[in-house]
Amino acid sequence: MNGHAHELKWHTSYWPLLVSVGTLFLAPLAFGFYFVYKMPLAAFVCLGIGAPLVLISIIGWVREGLEDEHGYSAGLSVWAMPFFIVAEAFLFVGFFAAYWVTRLTAPFWPPPGTPEMSMAVPVVMTFILVASSFTIHLAEGKIEDERYDGKGFIFWLAVTMVLGAVFLGISAFEWTELYHHGFVFGTNVFSSSFFSITGFHGSHVLVGLALFLCILLPALSGKVNKAFVKSASVYWHFVDVVWFFVVSQLYFW
Amino acid sequence: MSSTMVTGSVDTHQASGSGFSLKEWVFTTDHKRVAVLYMIGAFAAFLVAGIMAILMRTELASLGPTVTDNPAAYNTWLYFHGAAMILGYQIPALTGFFANYYVPLMIGAKDVAFPRVNALSVWLFWMGLVVALLTFVIPDPPDIMWTGYPPYSILTGGNTAFYTFTVLLMGFSSIAAGVNFLTTIIYMRAPGMAWSKLNIFIWCTLAAFIIQIIFVPILGVAVTMLSLDKYLGTHFFNAAAGGSALIYENLFWFYSHPAVYVIFLPAVGLIYEIVATFARNRIFNHMKMVYYGIFGVLALTGLVWAHHLYIAGIPNWMVLIHVFTTLVISIPVGLLMIGLLGTLYKGSIQYSTPMLYAAGFLFLFLIGGLTGIPNAMSAIYMHLTDTYWMPGHFHYVMAVSMTTAILGGTYYVLPKMTGRMYSETLGKLGFFLFFIGVNITFMFTLLMGVKGLPRRYYDYQQFPELEWMQQWATIGSYIILLGALVVLVSWLHCAFFGMRVGPNPWGSRSLEWTHAPSPPPPGNFGGEVRVPEDWSPYGYGK
Repeated sequence: MNGHAHELKWHTSYWPLLVSVGTLFLAPLAFGFYFVYKMPLAAFVCLGIGAPLVLISIIGWVREGLEDEHGYSAGLSVWAMPFFIVAEAFLFVGFFAAYWVTRLTAPFWPPPGTPEMSMAVPVVMTFILVASSFTIHLAEGKIEDERYDGKGFIFWLAVTMVLGAVFLGISAFEWTELYHHGFVFGTNVFSSSFFSITGFHGSHVLVGLALFLCILLPALSGKVNKAFVKSASVYWHFVDVVWFFVVSQLYFW
Repeated sequence: MSSTMVTGSVDTHQASGSGFSLKEWVFTTDHKRVAVLYMIGAFAAFLVAGIMAILMRTELASLGPTVTDNPAAYNTWLYFHGAAMILGYQIPALTGFFANYYVPLMIGAKDVAFPRVNALSVWLFWMGLVVALLTFVIPDPPDIMWTGYPPYSILTGGNTAFYTFTVLLMGFSSIAAGVNFLTTIIYMRAPGMAWSKLNIFIWCTLAAFIIQIIFVPILGVAVTMLSLDKYLGTHFFNAAAGGSALIYENLFWFYSHPAVYVIFLPAVGLIYEIVATFARNRIFNHMKMVYYGIFGVLALTGLVWAHHLYIAGIPNWMVLIHVFTTLVISIPVGLLMIGLLGTLYKGSIQYSTPMLYAAGFLFLFLIGGLTGIPNAMSAIYMHLTDTYWMPGHFHYVMAVSMTTAILGGTYYVLPKMTGRMYSETLGKLGFFLFFIGVNITFMFTLLMGVKGLPRRYYDYQQFPELEWMQQWATIGSYIILLGALVVLVSWLHCAFFGMRVGPNPWGSRSLEWTHAPSPPPPGNFGGEVRVPEDWSPYGYGK
């Protein structure tokens, strides 16, 4: 076997440990200092340590991944993504289960303190997200083997990211509007579910955008990992599908 | 077929002869070293959580204050003991340590599908462990048991956020590991390694990870809502605002009962490997055990959670359904036990230390299983719940019988990991101390439960007549501690001074013993593995 000498080396990577340590500072320690022990300064110090660590690790990880040290399993991410999506789906199942139990056992719905929701906003958001699913599909088509078009890929990927960002922008706008109507996290049982579920979905959009950024930046210098693009795209479609549940059950039903 | 292993063992000395490199351990992405990192973390959690148990048992050895006069301290021990034993020790030992060590070796792969994600899994687990260990240095540590039920967990001055983050970090670690190992088992088997040829342990691990990726997110949601309620003012579990604590209890057990099978399945898989090897026998109805036993458990695992909630205020129809499903799930579990007995039947049994642990498992799990059947029936349960009967039952069925699998499994794999043999004397001494100790402690725990002693409290002023039983239970716990220390000494002795042995001291037919040197080098096999048509990991007597 020609890869023999290569196999006798113990593989290493800095990034898994560093991203874990970053997460420790970013989430439990920062949250604990701020909310539990009321020490905002210590919390910001933890953020200051955690955020750069996580960011640097992600960049390092992506660069290492594109060099593909462990080439023997290349391409398997496409098959792994469905398993991850199952886990993600059950995250929403948990939230929706709690929401429906609360709602079906409530004496009346929506509970007092809930303002009239704008129906136009979710419709616009739905159109934008569905459009972004189409554009990422177009982008994927540009890196098929027969007619590879790097510029077209970058264009449609960028369009997808803009659509995703606009979606998040509208969501932020809507949250601010509701805030001015006095509808916040702790208003009532509906606001608890509403902000948690839309917030969780929004955070998934954000993760999708981060994945796309991890594809876009290397793509500018011509490095594209097709399996990774395909996985990110499948993830994006999933986020789109979840939105249908969010919009139908929180706004219209 | 196994002639490749000779050339393989020559390779090892070149690989491991280069000396110890800290960088190659801390930043490793190799599954065998990730397994060792899991092993260290899991057994560290076992030791610290065990010390908490010793503190609690000592506190209970006499009426009134013994170790402390502060009941809040007892609550913190109780919290750490439960949370660390389940989330920090059992699950990572089985789905971290053993899954990592065995899966690529047993399926003939060089590593897992995503080695870097694998390293991420182990380090996120370690970060969860760090947050849990902070319990001992922070002011207002968590005091909410491992279940974290509201409203207490929301009203308490304790740090519920660190409970939430321990669960979230370890949960994300489990999901990443689940995605990784499902992909590995499905797509990275060696040529010729058909599904019907997979080791039972691989099937068990596959099922355990299917459970993890489906149910862990539910627990993640539950504990997230808990901290949202406590620190950001939401009302998910606030009855005054129209929420309900029952939602938490249902979500919590919707994961945490399947978590029992996440622990049980790989543990029973290990016992199968040990029993087949030391009885020199095929697995009794190998694929039927997989289809009806393992998949039977998998099919029912999400339908039995409410047997933890019979008296919590759930509707009667829900109670009735769960009485039925809980009794039904004992059928595939019992089938897996029959498979073990059938594998022993007419085997040529050799009672080495791992086999002793397997025999201990059969006894302890029998007691645990039989004490579980009355619990499943809501009418009996009502009188037993919240008494010492419950900890007696779940320590037999889950805590100590799964620990026999973990300890026995570790003895079994040690010669592969180190290339050295442990001392049978120390191994057997550790086993008998452990086995005698757990039976003293938990027989008396069961008995006190029948007498009606309520669980969880740090004192029992109303039950002075039970003090002698408490004392026996405490004596048992000291014997367990002694056993655990002997086990630890025997492992260290093995790793540093054990006699060198060949790649297959057990004479097993499974791939990790026949094809890989001990310890296996990077890449495991020193070449491609091909599995012949008539090969079986349990092909004894062929």
